Amino acid sequence: MLDDILKYTFLISLLTGMVRMAVPILLAAEGELIAERSGVLNLGVEGTMLIGAIASFLGTYYTKSLLMGVLWGILAGGLLSAVMAFVVTTLKADQIITGLTINIFSAGIALYMFRTAFTGVATQNLPTVTTFSKAPIPLLSKIPVLGTFVFSQHVLTYVAILLVFLIYLFLYHTKYGLILRSIGDNPRAVDMKGVNISLYKYSAVIFGGMMAGLGGTFLTLVIAGIYSPGIVAGRGWIALSLVILGNWNPFTILVSALLFGFLDTFQLQIQAIGINFPYQILVALPYLLTIIVLVIGRRKSGAPLLAGRPYSREES
Amino acid sequence: MHKYKIERRPYVSGWTELLAIFSALVTSLIVCAIIIKTTSDAYVTTAFISLFKGAFGNKKAIMDTLVQATPLIFTGLATVVAFRGRIWNIGGEGQFYAGAMMAAWISMNLGSLPQVILVPTIIIGSMIGGATWAAIAGYLKAQFGSNEIIVTVMMNYLILFLLSYLLLGPWQAPDSQYLQTILFSKNTYLPAISGSHLDAGFFLGLIAAVLIYVLLWRTSLGYEIRSIGVNPVAAQYKGLDIKKTIIIIMIISGALAGLGGGAILSGVHHRLRLDISPGYGFTGILVAMMARLNPFGVILAAIFLGAIDNGSTFMQIETNVPVALIDTYQGIVLLLLIISFILVQYRVRRTEDAG
Repeated sequence: MLDDILKYTFLISLLTGMVRMAVPILLAAEGELIAERSGVLNLGVEGTMLIGAIASFLGTYYTKSLLMGVLWGILAGGLLSAVMAFVVTTLKADQIITGLTINIFSAGIALYMFRTAFTGVATQNLPTVTTFSKAPIPLLSKIPVLGTFVFSQHVLTYVAILLVFLIYLFLYHTKYGLILRSIGDNPRAVDMKGVNISLYKYSAVIFGGMMAGLGGTFLTLVIAGIYSPGIVAGRGWIALSLVILGNWNPFTILVSALLFGFLDTFQLQIQAIGINFPYQILVALPYLLTIIVLVIGRRKSGAPLLAGRPYSREES
Repeated sequence: MHKYKIERRPYVSGWTELLAIFSALVTSLIVCAIIIKTTSDAYVTTAFISLFKGAFGNKKAIMDTLVQATPLIFTGLATVVAFRGRIWNIGGEGQFYAGAMMAAWISMNLGSLPQVILVPTIIIGSMIGGATWAAIAGYLKAQFGSNEIIVTVMMNYLILFLLSYLLLGPWQAPDSQYLQTILFSKNTYLPAISGSHLDAGFFLGLIAAVLIYVLLWRTSLGYEIRSIGVNPVAAQYKGLDIKKTIIIIMIISGALAGLGGGAILSGVHHRLRLDISPGYGFTGILVAMMARLNPFGVILAAIFLGAIDNGSTFMQIETNVPVALIDTYQGIVLLLLIISFILVQYRVRRTEDAG
């Protein structure tokens, strides 16, 4: 048994799986980072990922095109978050209540879309779609170990990693990034400079939703190839805690996502080996780790000062 | 020349709030009608009529509606207590299961006790189960400032893993290949109204609503909970022990949700399975929001949603509109409620233009 675990191929597949399982929560967490930087705490990540998952699945199922599926997933996530942005920015509703509503709302919509699309189809005959195939990068994928688990991934994985760099550059090396960060900390000062705060908040929340939608898309079109109502399984919530664990920094969020990805793939592969051990304990690991993260990761300095509170000129 | 000005109302009356709820309900029904029209070939009116018939068509339907409303009353009240203190307990679902698991444990181990002793034991046990599960999140929030929303959501998953372990192992009925416990003895049953499914759980829910009302508005603890909800900083300056109150809020909230689990187990299912709740904990949030966090409003909202739930099965049989429409409906209602509660804070006034 232990021999199986220590085999080279097992370690490689563990590392490959770590990267793959990290991507959905990474995408959602990086998107949430941008939203929170604008001062909007979007608790609807879980629901947004779910909407992205069903939309991308149906998109690919009907058009037979993976690219269309990705597009549908991103658009659906963006659309849902536009609702969130409208309610919390323009109407200035409570962000927590609205975020929770988005989750209940999207769970309902997703279930209804799923049921109406496949009426009368037995659970064991549910349709599948062909998933993305791996896209090894020429030359780089020939590097031992590193080439296998970093450079032999899916296109969307490279996109996700690239986005981490782009988000970092945007936040810390562009004027707009500076303004966005300031809005999360001190909207009044930014407002006095004549910046359109609502526009930033809308853009940030919608971008966050598109990222969560892409995260959901990754679950269906890369990892699973099928859709089931439980496919997101709390990953949106885990993404929210990744932002805290990653201290609102794109790169630390990446590292945190890899940690969760490792745990997720570890439990899957240990189960596959068939170790004589209650599998529920393994499945529970990412959820337990999330709670531990929240216990040790108190509100750190990296948090936007005003995330979660609406900005209004009249009120202090 | 007339000009129209949008301004904030100085005071939002109870009638205005009722108007907000009413208009959200009407709008959501229209949205649902459009969804039915565009996604299925059923007639909208037929669908709505069969929904109503299924919910209130005869005495049995009405009784079943109240049975459906019962768990929602408990999870709704659990949400009211927590949200009044602005403690975001999203773990009603998990606490519901924790209560049901305690009830199941008592039912399996003490099933030979007489009903008069056993039923109260189950009720108290399920409250302890839910309260304990919730108290963990409350403690982590009070002690470490851990975000209670994410912690309670994670604990919803954890309790289901624990239950799945138990139902695959020590708790599984020996003669069954399903994930379920044995059928409990008749001594564990909550008494029911003769000739119907309506059990004492519903009436326990009514009593709980009154008690929660008294707790929140007639006791000093209730005052503390509400002051933390309104302004935690001011509450701290007044010398309130916020940490202690947070844990107490979670304990009361969890006990209510747990009691819901115990009541449905001893009143309806009589055996524990993984699917005893189709999301009562989450619907409880909707119930509490519709009720504007008022315990008596919870009863009405729970009956309303219970009716829709109960009627939807009949609607699916009659018109093929999927039951899942109800989940969509719940989300739409909640979203429209939030929007309309904000809109009624404003009014449009016609003003004379000076120029």
